[in-house]
Amino acid sequence: MASGIFIVPVLVSFGGVGIRTAVAASIVSVIACSCGSAAAFLRAGLTNIRIAIVLETATTLGALTGVFLGGLLPPSVLFLLFAAILLLSARQMLVARQREAAPAAPLEADSADWATVLKLHSSYPEGSLGRPVHYRVHRVPLGLALMYGAGLISALLGIGSGVLKIPAMDTALRLPIKVSSATSNFMIGVTAAASGVAYFALGDINPLVAGPVAIGSVIGALLGARFLMAVSGERLRLFFVVVLLVLAVQMLLEAFGMHLGRRS
Amino acid sequence: MNEGLGRHHKLESLLARVLDQGAWLASGVIAVGWTMVAGGWRASWVINSGVALFLLLPVLRVVIMLVVFLRERDYRFSAITALVLSIIVLGALLGIHMT
Repeated sequence: MASGIFIVPVLVSFGGVGIRTAVAASIVSVIACSCGSAAAFLRAGLTNIRIAIVLETATTLGALTGVFLGGLLPPSVLFLLFAAILLLSARQMLVARQREAAPAAPLEADSADWATVLKLHSSYPEGSLGRPVHYRVHRVPLGLALMYGAGLISALLGIGSGVLKIPAMDTALRLPIKVSSATSNFMIGVTAAASGVAYFALGDINPLVAGPVAIGSVIGALLGARFLMAVSGERLRLFFVVVLLVLAVQMLLEAFGMHLGRRS
Repeated sequence: MNEGLGRHHKLESLLARVLDQGAWLASGVIAVGWTMVAGGWRASWVINSGVALFLLLPVLRVVIMLVVFLRERDYRFSAITALVLSIIVLGALLGIHMT
Protein backbone atom coordinates (compact mmCIF):
# COMPACT_ATOMS: atom_id res chain seq x y z
CA MET A 1 0.00 0.00 0.00
CA ALA A 2 1.39 3.36 -1.02
CA SER A 3 1.48 5.60 2.04
CA GLY A 4 3.49 8.30 0.29
CA ILE A 5 0.40 9.60 -1.45
CA PHE A 6 -1.11 10.69 1.89
CA ILE A 7 1.94 12.50 3.25
CA VAL A 8 2.09 15.58 1.00
CA PRO A 9 -1.64 16.47 1.25
CA VAL A 10 -1.56 16.08 5.04
CA LEU A 11 1.67 18.08 5.49
CA VAL A 12 0.46 20.87 3.23
CA SER A 13 -3.14 21.07 4.49
CA PHE A 14 -2.62 20.47 8.20
CA GLY A 15 1.09 20.99 8.81
CA GLY A 16 1.33 24.36 7.11
CA VAL A 17 4.41 23.13 5.21
CA GLY A 18 5.31 24.44 1.74
CA ILE A 19 4.77 21.97 -1.08
CA ARG A 20 8.49 21.72 -1.98
CA THR A 21 9.44 20.85 1.62
CA ALA A 22 6.50 18.43 1.85
CA VAL A 23 7.49 16.66 -1.41
CA ALA A 24 11.14 16.35 -0.34
CA ALA A 25 10.15 14.97 3.09
CA SER A 26 7.70 12.55 1.50
CA ILE A 27 10.41 11.18 -0.81
CA VAL A 28 12.46 10.13 2.24
CA SER A 29 9.41 8.31 3.65
CA VAL A 30 8.82 6.61 0.33
CA ILE A 31 12.32 5.12 0.55
CA ALA A 32 11.85 4.25 4.22
CA CYS A 33 8.64 2.34 3.52
CA SER A 34 9.82 0.65 0.34
CA CYS A 35 12.90 -0.94 1.99
CA GLY A 36 10.98 -3.34 4.21
CA SER A 37 8.48 -4.47 1.60
CA ALA A 38 11.15 -4.70 -1.13
CA ALA A 39 13.14 -7.04 1.14
CA ALA A 40 10.07 -9.23 1.74
CA PHE A 41 9.32 -9.49 -2.01
CA LEU A 42 12.99 -10.36 -2.72
CA ARG A 43 12.88 -13.16 -0.17
CA ALA A 44 9.70 -14.49 -1.76
CA GLY A 45 11.58 -14.66 -5.08
CA LEU A 46 9.03 -12.48 -6.89
CA THR A 47 11.29 -9.56 -7.87
CA ASN A 48 12.87 -9.51 -11.32
CA ILE A 49 16.02 -7.49 -10.60
CA ARG A 50 17.14 -7.50 -14.24
CA ILE A 51 13.92 -5.83 -15.42
CA ALA A 52 14.22 -3.46 -12.45
CA ILE A 53 17.68 -2.17 -13.30
CA VAL A 54 16.83 -1.78 -17.00
CA LEU A 55 13.69 0.25 -16.21
CA GLU A 56 15.52 2.24 -13.52
CA THR A 57 17.56 3.97 -16.22
CA ALA A 58 14.25 5.54 -17.26
CA THR A 59 12.75 6.12 -13.80
CA THR A 60 15.88 7.85 -12.44
CA LEU A 61 16.16 10.06 -15.51
CA GLY A 62 12.47 10.91 -15.11
CA ALA A 63 13.10 11.61 -11.41
CA LEU A 64 15.84 14.16 -12.20
CA THR A 65 13.56 15.82 -14.74
CA GLY A 66 10.86 15.97 -12.07
CA VAL A 67 13.10 17.59 -9.43
CA PHE A 68 14.21 20.38 -11.73
CA LEU A 69 10.81 20.81 -13.40
CA GLY A 70 9.24 21.05 -9.94
CA GLY A 71 11.27 24.18 -9.26
CA LEU A 72 9.79 25.84 -12.35
CA LEU A 73 6.12 24.92 -12.02
CA PRO A 74 3.81 27.07 -9.86
CA PRO A 75 2.41 25.23 -6.80
CA SER A 76 -1.13 25.41 -8.19
CA VAL A 77 -0.13 23.17 -11.13
CA LEU A 78 1.44 20.67 -8.69
CA PHE A 79 -1.75 20.63 -6.60
CA LEU A 80 -3.86 20.01 -9.73
CA LEU A 81 -1.56 17.18 -10.78
CA PHE A 82 -1.72 15.75 -7.27
CA ALA A 83 -5.52 15.82 -7.35
CA ALA A 84 -5.47 13.97 -10.68
CA ILE A 85 -3.15 11.24 -9.30
CA LEU A 86 -5.34 10.87 -6.20
CA LEU A 87 -8.43 10.42 -8.37
CA LEU A 88 -6.56 7.90 -10.52
CA SER A 89 -5.56 5.97 -7.37
CA ALA A 90 -9.15 5.99 -6.15
CA ARG A 91 -10.34 4.64 -9.48
CA GLN A 92 -7.66 1.96 -9.48
CA MET A 93 -8.69 0.96 -5.98
CA LEU A 94 -12.34 0.58 -7.04
CA VAL A 95 -11.55 -1.45 -10.13
CA ALA A 96 -9.47 -4.30 -8.71
CA ARG A 97 -6.84 -5.67 -10.99
CA GLN A 98 -8.30 -8.59 -12.90
CA ARG A 99 -5.95 -9.72 -15.56
CA GLU A 100 -4.47 -12.89 -14.13
CA ALA A 101 -5.58 -14.87 -17.16
CA ALA A 102 -3.49 -13.01 -19.72
CA PRO A 103 -3.51 -14.46 -23.21
CA ALA A 104 -0.80 -17.07 -23.42
CA ALA A 105 2.35 -15.41 -24.69
CA PRO A 106 3.70 -16.69 -27.98
CA LEU A 107 6.51 -19.05 -27.14
CA GLU A 108 8.54 -18.25 -30.22
CA ALA A 109 8.87 -14.49 -29.91
CA ASP A 110 11.29 -13.02 -32.42
CA SER A 111 14.70 -13.56 -30.92
CA ALA A 112 15.86 -10.00 -31.64
CA ASP A 113 13.49 -8.30 -29.18
CA TRP A 114 14.99 -6.38 -26.27
CA ALA A 115 13.71 -8.67 -23.54
CA THR A 116 15.37 -11.69 -25.13
CA VAL A 117 18.66 -9.91 -25.79
CA LEU A 118 18.74 -8.62 -22.20
CA LYS A 119 17.65 -12.00 -20.78
CA LEU A 120 14.68 -10.53 -18.92
CA HIS A 121 12.42 -13.58 -19.21
CA SER A 122 12.31 -15.40 -15.92
CA SER A 123 10.22 -17.43 -13.50
CA TYR A 124 8.74 -17.03 -10.05
CA PRO A 125 7.59 -19.53 -7.43
CA GLU A 126 3.79 -19.79 -7.43
CA GLY A 127 2.66 -20.99 -4.00
CA SER A 128 -0.73 -22.24 -5.17
CA LEU A 129 0.87 -24.45 -7.84
CA GLY A 130 3.92 -25.53 -5.86
CA ARG A 131 6.20 -25.00 -8.84
CA PRO A 132 7.85 -22.09 -10.66
CA VAL A 133 5.85 -20.27 -13.32
CA HIS A 134 7.80 -19.11 -16.36
CA TYR A 135 6.96 -15.84 -18.03
CA ARG A 136 8.12 -13.79 -21.00
CA VAL A 137 8.59 -10.03 -21.07
CA HIS A 138 7.17 -7.85 -23.82
CA ARG A 139 7.53 -4.35 -25.27
CA VAL A 140 10.50 -3.09 -23.25
CA PRO A 141 10.79 0.25 -25.16
CA LEU A 142 7.17 1.12 -24.32
CA GLY A 143 7.86 0.11 -20.72
CA LEU A 144 10.87 2.46 -20.62
CA ALA A 145 8.81 5.38 -21.92
CA LEU A 146 6.06 4.82 -19.34
CA MET A 147 8.65 4.45 -16.57
CA TYR A 148 10.21 7.79 -17.48
CA GLY A 149 6.79 9.34 -16.86
CA ALA A 150 6.36 7.43 -13.59
CA GLY A 151 9.76 8.62 -12.35
CA LEU A 152 8.92 12.19 -13.26
CA ILE A 153 5.61 12.14 -11.38
CA SER A 154 7.27 10.41 -8.41
CA ALA A 155 9.86 13.17 -8.02
CA LEU A 156 7.42 15.99 -8.77
CA LEU A 157 4.83 14.90 -6.18
CA GLY A 158 6.93 12.97 -3.66
CA ILE A 159 5.09 9.68 -4.16
CA GLY A 160 6.25 6.16 -4.95
CA SER A 161 3.94 6.24 -7.98
CA GLY A 162 3.29 2.52 -7.85
CA VAL A 163 -0.12 3.69 -9.08
CA LEU A 164 1.57 4.39 -12.45
CA LYS A 165 4.36 1.79 -12.39
CA ILE A 166 2.23 -1.29 -11.79
CA PRO A 167 -0.28 -0.68 -14.64
CA ALA A 168 2.64 0.20 -16.92
CA MET A 169 4.26 -3.14 -16.13
CA ASP A 170 0.96 -5.01 -16.42
CA THR A 171 0.07 -3.59 -19.81
CA ALA A 172 3.40 -2.89 -21.54
CA LEU A 173 5.63 -5.71 -20.28
CA ARG A 174 2.68 -8.08 -19.60
CA LEU A 175 4.27 -9.36 -16.39
CA PRO A 176 2.42 -11.63 -13.98
CA ILE A 177 0.73 -9.47 -11.33
CA LYS A 178 2.88 -10.72 -8.45
CA VAL A 179 6.07 -10.01 -10.37
CA SER A 180 4.99 -6.51 -11.40
CA SER A 181 4.00 -5.60 -7.83
CA ALA A 182 7.31 -6.87 -6.43
CA THR A 183 9.48 -5.36 -9.16
CA SER A 184 7.69 -2.00 -8.99
CA ASN A 185 8.27 -1.94 -5.25
CA PHE A 186 11.96 -2.72 -5.72
CA MET A 187 12.31 0.15 -8.21
CA ILE A 188 10.53 2.69 -6.01
CA GLY A 189 13.53 2.95 -3.65
CA VAL A 190 16.09 3.77 -6.35
CA THR A 191 13.73 6.14 -8.16
CA ALA A 192 13.03 8.01 -4.93
CA ALA A 193 16.75 8.00 -4.06
CA ALA A 194 17.58 9.68 -7.39
CA SER A 195 15.23 12.58 -6.62
CA GLY A 196 15.94 12.46 -2.88
CA VAL A 197 19.69 12.87 -3.36
CA ALA A 198 19.03 15.83 -5.69
CA TYR A 199 16.58 17.41 -3.20
CA PHE A 200 19.15 16.84 -0.44
CA ALA A 201 21.90 18.54 -2.49
CA LEU A 202 19.53 21.42 -3.25
CA GLY A 203 18.90 21.83 0.49
CA ASP A 204 15.17 21.16 0.16
CA ILE A 205 15.08 18.44 2.82
CA ASN A 206 14.24 19.85 6.25
CA PRO A 207 15.41 17.22 8.78
CA LEU A 208 12.89 18.38 11.36
CA VAL A 209 10.06 17.57 8.93
CA ALA A 210 11.55 14.64 6.99
CA GLY A 211 12.91 12.74 10.04
CA PRO A 212 9.70 12.46 12.08
CA VAL A 213 7.64 11.78 8.94
CA ALA A 214 9.99 8.95 7.92
CA ILE A 215 9.85 7.33 11.37
CA GLY A 216 6.10 7.80 11.49
CA SER A 217 5.59 6.12 8.16
CA VAL A 218 7.86 3.17 9.01
CA ILE A 219 5.84 2.59 12.19
CA GLY A 220 2.65 3.20 10.23
CA ALA A 221 3.67 0.61 7.64
CA LEU A 222 4.41 -1.97 10.35
CA LEU A 223 1.11 -1.38 12.17
CA GLY A 224 -0.76 -1.00 8.87
CA ALA A 225 0.27 -4.45 7.69
CA ARG A 226 -1.18 -6.01 10.89
CA PHE A 227 -4.32 -3.89 10.65
CA LEU A 228 -4.87 -4.77 6.99
CA MET A 229 -4.93 -8.46 7.79
CA ALA A 230 -7.55 -7.99 10.51
CA VAL A 231 -10.03 -5.94 8.48
CA SER A 232 -12.18 -7.15 5.61
CA GLY A 233 -10.81 -6.22 2.21
CA GLU A 234 -14.01 -4.78 0.80
CA ARG A 235 -14.65 -2.27 3.59
CA LEU A 236 -11.01 -1.29 3.69
CA ARG A 237 -11.01 -0.57 -0.02
CA LEU A 238 -14.06 1.67 0.30
CA PHE A 239 -12.44 3.46 3.24
CA PHE A 240 -9.30 4.18 1.19
CA VAL A 241 -11.36 5.33 -1.78
CA VAL A 242 -13.18 7.83 0.44
CA VAL A 243 -9.91 9.10 1.95
CA LEU A 244 -8.36 9.48 -1.50
CA LEU A 245 -11.41 11.41 -2.74
CA VAL A 246 -11.37 13.74 0.28
CA LEU A 247 -7.65 14.44 -0.24
CA ALA A 248 -8.27 15.05 -3.95
CA VAL A 249 -10.88 17.69 -3.09
CA GLN A 250 -8.44 19.21 -0.61
CA MET A 251 -5.71 19.39 -3.26
CA LEU A 252 -8.14 20.98 -5.74
CA LEU A 253 -9.01 23.63 -3.14
CA GLU A 254 -5.29 24.28 -2.56
CA ALA A 255 -4.80 24.61 -6.31
CA PHE A 256 -7.35 27.41 -6.34
CA GLY A 257 -5.88 29.07 -3.27
CA MET A 258 -8.45 27.96 -0.70
CA HIS A 259 -7.17 26.52 2.56
CA LEU A 260 -9.43 24.44 4.77
CA GLY A 261 -7.15 22.88 7.32
CA ARG A 262 -5.22 25.89 8.53
CA ARG A 263 -5.92 29.48 9.33
CA SER A 264 -3.89 31.98 7.30
CA MET B 1 20.91 -19.27 -11.36
CA ASN B 2 19.21 -22.53 -12.16
CA GLU B 3 15.51 -22.18 -12.88
CA GLY B 4 14.65 -19.52 -15.45
CA LEU B 5 17.06 -17.27 -17.25
CA GLY B 6 17.06 -14.20 -15.08
CA ARG B 7 17.17 -15.31 -11.44
CA HIS B 8 20.06 -14.33 -9.16
CA HIS B 9 19.25 -16.14 -5.92
CA LYS B 10 22.31 -15.14 -3.86
CA LEU B 11 22.12 -11.52 -4.96
CA GLU B 12 18.41 -11.40 -4.14
CA SER B 13 18.91 -12.52 -0.54
CA LEU B 14 21.94 -10.24 -0.10
CA LEU B 15 19.92 -7.22 -1.29
CA ALA B 16 17.03 -8.18 1.00
CA ARG B 17 19.41 -8.24 3.99
CA VAL B 18 21.02 -4.91 3.11
CA LEU B 19 17.66 -3.14 2.65
CA ASP B 20 16.21 -4.57 5.85
CA GLN B 21 19.16 -3.86 8.14
CA GLY B 22 19.92 -0.52 6.52
CA ALA B 23 16.35 0.64 7.11
CA TRP B 24 16.59 -0.29 10.80
CA LEU B 25 19.92 1.53 11.14
CA ALA B 26 18.64 4.70 9.43
CA SER B 27 15.41 4.66 11.50
CA GLY B 28 17.46 4.23 14.66
CA VAL B 29 19.72 7.19 13.86
CA ILE B 30 16.71 9.41 13.09
CA ALA B 31 14.97 8.33 16.31
CA VAL B 32 18.09 9.12 18.39
CA GLY B 33 18.45 12.51 16.68
CA TRP B 34 14.81 13.32 17.21
CA THR B 35 15.03 12.42 20.91
CA MET B 36 18.10 14.66 21.26
CA VAL B 37 16.34 17.59 19.55
CA ALA B 38 13.28 17.07 21.77
CA GLY B 39 15.62 17.15 24.77
CA GLY B 40 16.91 20.56 23.75
CA TRP B 41 20.15 19.53 22.03
CA ARG B 42 21.15 21.07 18.71
CA ALA B 43 21.14 17.72 16.98
CA SER B 44 19.28 18.19 13.74
CA TRP B 45 22.51 17.06 12.05
CA VAL B 46 21.95 13.61 13.60
CA ILE B 47 18.48 13.44 12.02
CA ASN B 48 20.02 14.63 8.78
CA SER B 49 22.56 11.79 8.90
CA GLY B 50 19.71 9.30 9.30
CA VAL B 51 17.90 10.86 6.35
CA ALA B 52 21.12 10.66 4.32
CA LEU B 53 21.46 6.98 5.28
CA PHE B 54 17.97 6.31 3.93
CA LEU B 55 18.84 8.12 0.68
CA LEU B 56 22.09 6.15 0.31
CA LEU B 57 20.51 2.76 0.97
CA PRO B 58 19.04 2.30 -2.54
CA VAL B 59 22.27 3.73 -4.00
CA LEU B 60 24.23 1.08 -2.09
CA ARG B 61 21.86 -1.51 -3.54
CA VAL B 62 22.77 -0.34 -7.07
CA VAL B 63 26.50 -0.43 -6.21
CA ILE B 64 26.18 -4.03 -4.95
CA MET B 65 24.39 -5.01 -8.17
CA LEU B 66 27.19 -3.39 -10.18
CA VAL B 67 29.86 -5.37 -8.30
CA VAL B 68 27.96 -8.63 -8.77
CA PHE B 69 27.35 -8.07 -12.50
CA LEU B 70 31.04 -7.21 -12.98
CA ARG B 71 32.07 -10.37 -11.12
CA GLU B 72 29.74 -12.41 -13.34
CA ARG B 73 31.41 -10.75 -16.34
CA ASP B 74 27.97 -9.57 -17.42
CA TYR B 75 29.29 -6.41 -19.02
CA ARG B 76 26.03 -5.40 -20.64
CA PHE B 77 24.25 -5.30 -17.28
CA SER B 78 27.30 -3.75 -15.62
CA ALA B 79 26.99 -0.89 -18.11
CA ILE B 80 23.23 -0.53 -17.52
CA THR B 81 23.78 -0.51 -13.73
CA ALA B 82 26.63 2.01 -14.07
CA LEU B 83 24.29 4.24 -16.10
CA VAL B 84 21.69 4.24 -13.29
CA LEU B 85 24.44 5.08 -10.80
CA SER B 86 25.73 7.96 -12.95
CA ILE B 87 22.23 9.43 -13.32
CA ILE B 88 21.92 9.52 -9.51
CA VAL B 89 25.38 11.10 -9.16
CA LEU B 90 24.50 13.61 -11.90
CA GLY B 91 21.42 14.65 -9.89
CA ALA B 92 23.57 15.23 -6.80
CA LEU B 93 26.13 17.26 -8.77
CA LEU B 94 23.44 19.37 -10.46
CA GLY B 95 21.83 19.96 -7.07
CA ILE B 96 25.10 21.07 -5.45
CA HIS B 97 25.92 23.22 -8.46
CA MET B 98 22.57 25.02 -8.33
CA THR B 99 22.74 26.02 -4.66
